[in-house]
Amino acid sequence: MRPKWHLNGTDYLMLGFDHELRRRGYAGNSCQIVLELGAAISVETLQQRATTVAARYPILNARPSGWFCPRWKLPKGIVSAPRIRVHQDQPALPQRILNEPLAVQRGELARFDLIQRNEDRATLVFTWAHALLDGPGAEHLLALIGREDSLLPDALPALKHRAPRPLKERFKLGWKSLRQIEQFANVAPRSLAPRHLGVPANVCYRVEKFSAEDTARIRTNGSRICGVLGGAQFHAAAAMVELHRLHQRLGSPTPSYVLPLPVGLRSKGRLEPLFGNQVTMLMLQLLPEHLDSLQQTAAALKAQTERAMRAGLLESGIVLSELFRFLPLPIYMAIMKQGLRGEICSLFFGDIAGVNPLLSRFLGAAVEDVTHVAAVTPSPGLGVVFYYFRGELRITILHLAAVLSDAEAAEFAAKLRASLLHV
Amino acid sequence: MVEAREIETQLLAFLRREVFAPEVDLTPETDLIGAGFDSMSLVRVLLFVETSYGLWLPEKEINTATLQNVRTLALVVCRLLHEA
Repeated sequence: MRPKWHLNGTDYLMLGFDHELRRRGYAGNSCQIVLELGAAISVETLQQRATTVAARYPILNARPSGWFCPRWKLPKGIVSAPRIRVHQDQPALPQRILNEPLAVQRGELARFDLIQRNEDRATLVFTWAHALLDGPGAEHLLALIGREDSLLPDALPALKHRAPRPLKERFKLGWKSLRQIEQFANVAPRSLAPRHLGVPANVCYRVEKFSAEDTARIRTNGSRICGVLGGAQFHAAAAMVELHRLHQRLGSPTPSYVLPLPVGLRSKGRLEPLFGNQVTMLMLQLLPEHLDSLQQTAAALKAQTERAMRAGLLESGIVLSELFRFLPLPIYMAIMKQGLRGEICSLFFGDIAGVNPLLSRFLGAAVEDVTHVAAVTPSPGLGVVFYYFRGELRITILHLAAVLSDAEAAEFAAKLRASLLHV
Repeated sequence: MVEAREIETQLLAFLRREVFAPEVDLTPETDLIGAGFDSMSLVRVLLFVETSYGLWLPEKEINTATLQNVRTLALVVCRLLHEA
């Protein structure tokens, strides 16, 4: 019998989004890390190292199995390394690659695309299924592949941090989260409807980069408005204010905005476990009157976060997502959308802090820049991911071509940038 | 009235149990922010202090000096308890 590894609640949700995206003609719920390298790298060395890592972590070749309580079915015998494709330099290639599906059901959970620009430069695109890994886990895995001398740690079980509870207690806790969603649904959000019909079902992205000086200025603004350690809250508040203004510009009012704030579940000081999405969502709701100014929005987010933590909604959210694993995927997705009257949320928001310092070199080449990319589902069709590379802020702004034009996305990005810098 | 040393011991135990990985050698002098303490960790600590001592740390007290390490945090909690 093949060994099996259960997906945790967040993994299953990510698999659900994959199902939803494919159903609507998109490539699926894949993420990318794009490394800009300061030298060409050898394809053979990459192949060799990826094979060693795949042999150590056969889950890289696993297939999702079961309609409910799903497991990764690990491959029998020899495992193959993630596929490596080599390309000539072409404009916007990483974006095109993001829209090429991974064959998740056949065990293709990761892929490399190497763009050899010349002897002095190369771009490596690592694409992976979000159901398998979160951003920090993928960074760590990539760092292990890129360092030939690194020891490969154990792939710790994805559910290690979850304390078992009696079923009755779990239902009681999960119910709390359902009640919260029900309350949000009384003033349900309405995301931007697809307006550019007939365009290919593509996820597009652009990256806003900030210099060290601008990053320092944004950090100061964040501390001034959200207090010490309030950086992520400041980013979220700025993004929500700009989302509200975007809705106003496009003449698409919404009674409320729902923001799933991701909360990392890894203990501080530990990168492991590599696999499984070690993150949960704290659901917050903002009304248009909370969004008149960044200060007001930040205060509303802070107050709601404290209230939600005090009410134990973080724990109950984890328990609810674990319970949802017992539902078949299409039913799960239908319930997710029905919960907020047809919506999933108003904006996908990610804040993954600093890029893993182990990613400073990859197979001998200096890593000169890093980009994080993720997919977004048709509702809401818009997302932002904040991260720091060598202490400089980066924001990846993701949108569906059917929801926003490139010009509208560029305007949103420029206004978000100005808002962070000049609040 | 609870003393600073006792608060420090309790905070240290809470942080070791709920926030930091077991392999982090957390001492009263460890630089908290440098060790990965973030905004969600802060909310957890604020709730722990509220539950344990009935005190919600006011906004103006939450600064880099207070969060420098467990000892500085315990001293602020102790001072506010004595002032109350």
